[in-house]
Amino acid sequence: MRFIRKTHYAQDINLFRHRGDVFWYGLLVALLLVAPAGLDRFYLGEFAQVFIYAIAGIGLMLLVGFTGLVSLGHAAFLAVGAYTHAYLMNLGVPLPVALACATVFSAVIGGLVGIPALRMTGIYLAVATLAFAVIVEQVLTHWVSVTGGFRGMAVARAELFGMDLGRPAPFYYLCLLVLIGCMFAAMNLLRSPTGRAMVAVRDSETSAQSMGIHINRTKGLAFAVSAAFTGLAGGLFAHRIGYLAPDAFTLLTSIQLLLMVVVGGLGSLHGVVFGAIFIGLLPQGIAIFRDVVPPAVAQLPGLEPGIFGLILIGFLIYEPLGIYGRWLKIRLFFEEFPLYRKATHKRQKSFLKTERLR
Amino acid sequence: MEVLQLLISGISQGCVYGLIALGFVLIYKATEMVNFAQGDVMMLGAFVAVSFVNLLDLPFVWGVLATLMVMGLVGALLERLLLRPMIGEPHFAVLMLTIGLGFLLRALAGAIWGNEPRALETPYAGEVLRLGAVVLGYENVVIMLGTVVLCTLLFLFFRFTRLGIAMQAASQNQLAAYYVGIPVKRIYSLVWALSALIAGFAGVLTAPVSLIDPLMGFVGIKAFAAAIVGGFGSLPGAILGGLLVGVVEQFAGLYLPTGFSDVSAYVLLLVMLMIRPQGLFATMQRKKV
Amino acid sequence: MSLFVAEDISISFGGIKAVQDVSFTVEGGEVFSIVGPNGAGKTTIFNLISRIYDVDQGTLTFDGQDITRVPTYVVPEMGIARTFQNTELFDQETVLKNLLIGCHVHRQSNFFSDLLFLPSVRRQELAFRQRVEDVIDLLDLQRYRDQVIANLPYGVRKMVEVARALCVQPKLLLLDEPSSGLNPEETEDLSFWLEDINGDLGITIVMVEHDMNLVALASDRVMALADGALVAIGTPSEVQNHPEVLRAYLGD
Repeated sequence: MRFIRKTHYAQDINLFRHRGDVFWYGLLVALLLVAPAGLDRFYLGEFAQVFIYAIAGIGLMLLVGFTGLVSLGHAAFLAVGAYTHAYLMNLGVPLPVALACATVFSAVIGGLVGIPALRMTGIYLAVATLAFAVIVEQVLTHWVSVTGGFRGMAVARAELFGMDLGRPAPFYYLCLLVLIGCMFAAMNLLRSPTGRAMVAVRDSETSAQSMGIHINRTKGLAFAVSAAFTGLAGGLFAHRIGYLAPDAFTLLTSIQLLLMVVVGGLGSLHGVVFGAIFIGLLPQGIAIFRDVVPPAVAQLPGLEPGIFGLILIGFLIYEPLGIYGRWLKIRLFFEEFPLYRKATHKRQKSFLKTERLR
Repeated sequence: MEVLQLLISGISQGCVYGLIALGFVLIYKATEMVNFAQGDVMMLGAFVAVSFVNLLDLPFVWGVLATLMVMGLVGALLERLLLRPMIGEPHFAVLMLTIGLGFLLRALAGAIWGNEPRALETPYAGEVLRLGAVVLGYENVVIMLGTVVLCTLLFLFFRFTRLGIAMQAASQNQLAAYYVGIPVKRIYSLVWALSALIAGFAGVLTAPVSLIDPLMGFVGIKAFAAAIVGGFGSLPGAILGGLLVGVVEQFAGLYLPTGFSDVSAYVLLLVMLMIRPQGLFATMQRKKV
Repeated sequence: MSLFVAEDISISFGGIKAVQDVSFTVEGGEVFSIVGPNGAGKTTIFNLISRIYDVDQGTLTFDGQDITRVPTYVVPEMGIARTFQNTELFDQETVLKNLLIGCHVHRQSNFFSDLLFLPSVRRQELAFRQRVEDVIDLLDLQRYRDQVIANLPYGVRKMVEVARALCVQPKLLLLDEPSSGLNPEETEDLSFWLEDINGDLGITIVMVEHDMNLVALASDRVMALADGALVAIGTPSEVQNHPEVLRAYLGD
């Protein structure tokens, strides 16, 4: 167990708590930087996909995990980002500009959705976002002149300063770079008043108001920021899949994103990364699963969503803190060995706190 | 006359929404849990009915009764296995859990009955009722009559039976209900059973007019919209919201460009949330400090 | 001029008059207590002052400014902080973070500077932390600093709430039943802290309180309410011996 002797307030403010953290995260980034040398194209593509998931996940985590607002429609923001980016790219706008526009436009849409959402909480909000996502899906299908409708639209080749970003290695680096940038941005938000205001709104609106926090502004901002991250991820996603069609942004996608933050561990940025890795690897895992089980099971229609559901239920019942929570427990077990007690993390059963008054 | 015809088919579709919404509201009122898989439970009910009536060749009425019993059992089982461990967990977790449950049920139904659409054989298939210029399929008549009968039974149940009154008590104050000796956990199982039964009934009613396949549960989302339009937590509101959504959908299909019919339920929901967030029948109030 | 003036304030909930035509003033620097039987409208008055409820009629004036219609979140900016009867803390966060949220009204940074964590934001964070530590020292909360609220005993939570309100650096502090749920020892500590807050920091205190000993010990003036109406205002002993007050508590 490491004890940190704190001698300055800055130690609580800095992003890394001690040298060990700097070392391990540095090592991780270094490994990721040299990875393309040793990995083949397929795995580079998969890694890039995980990075994209993580970027979108940061956005959703800020909203769900830190502001306490549930969105069942985040695929819509992914779609807005992807289509905006692709549309601008096809017009010949340079990649960074298009990506920035996609981010900003998603943020604006997110803010607009946030406005009616301000008056709602919990389940109402979840369903309203779901409704929004369905509407966006219909718009994508029927606004043929911009989106290509059902047939979809091709995405122009990613290119920057004459360099082809469409190839696996450069695209990998692009996604990694954006992810690291987003991570820093999110961490900065969370250690400053903006992030604290979000957390305050999550835990008690009444009290947040009485501490001078403008609830509506905070919620609207949370929506806009969340949509911005997700829209940015959408822009990258457009290049990843190369061809946009409405069926890439369905309710299933939204739920996949939510699955990511829940499975990873709500309320932590580590959880986003764990969740993204999990979601990214899941299709491979299912493919392997199909190979091992008898063909009668492997051929079952709807096997993949079924496994999805099973995993989600399993996590919610047995490990609501997600992979990150489990990781913390395992680490503590080794740090305190042999003194670790199982009851350390025993969940306290609470009485249902009613949201109603009647 | 076209308008009247549309209105009637809207109402009949709305009844189905209303019944699913009723299941949502029932569970929410009693347990404060939101069962997002209600539509999929309905789908399950339709398939069970197909098994009894088409495959086992039971007489229609007996098939339906058997279906209702099986569905009640399924509901209680779901509560016992999946939802019981979640008592006291945040609402969000329960919501996610039931979303997962929806996926699971869909996969399960696909595995058991396959993904080919099926139709339920009914004694009244294809017959019509003529009222002046209006032509009514018997399927629709049965849906409307069935809804009215079920609602009446439910009303009597909640108003006059000990169990119904206990359920109301549990829904209004969990802790107080414990204290006066109501077995709250058992009540929860029964509420789930009841709501699954209602969903199964909706499945049976809608089966003759829409094909049965594992994805038919998605109408549950529209029913959810209906429940909120009606004011989540109000039983008459759920039915009324369902009717409203059903009718609006029919008219949007006729008078507005393609695509609007599919989203009209959601547009209605968003408009409702903006102008009257508490729904038609308000039951929510703000938290007191 | 009085620090706070309430003039003929009334509010009713669905026909029940929770507060009717209550007028009182709070002078700068005093400790002003509100007492009364359950349901007398004490907490409602707090909710009116901190603008969680809208008054039906009457005016509220703070520091010479009319606050009858200002939005809730502006109230702390003007210098009024409050605690809640059953504690409304940010349960999933540490004590430190709760208190930092208390500093929110003094925020100079905006979203974009936060996003980049500019040096100015860092300076602001350090200043906030310094302020938080001062409050922690004052109320002896050092050992709870890094603990999550949900794991703390009730008495400590009450004090954390007072600490959070102090981080706002208010001119007027509203304490809603600060001693409820505290053991006698903690209540005694509380009376000293009230003195410190009032005497050393010069913060005016309005509190709703049931513990008459604490009220008599700590307050300069007392207002008694019954059924939403004002019964008596005066020194603690005056109010305690007021016949109407006795009748309100004991019945006829």
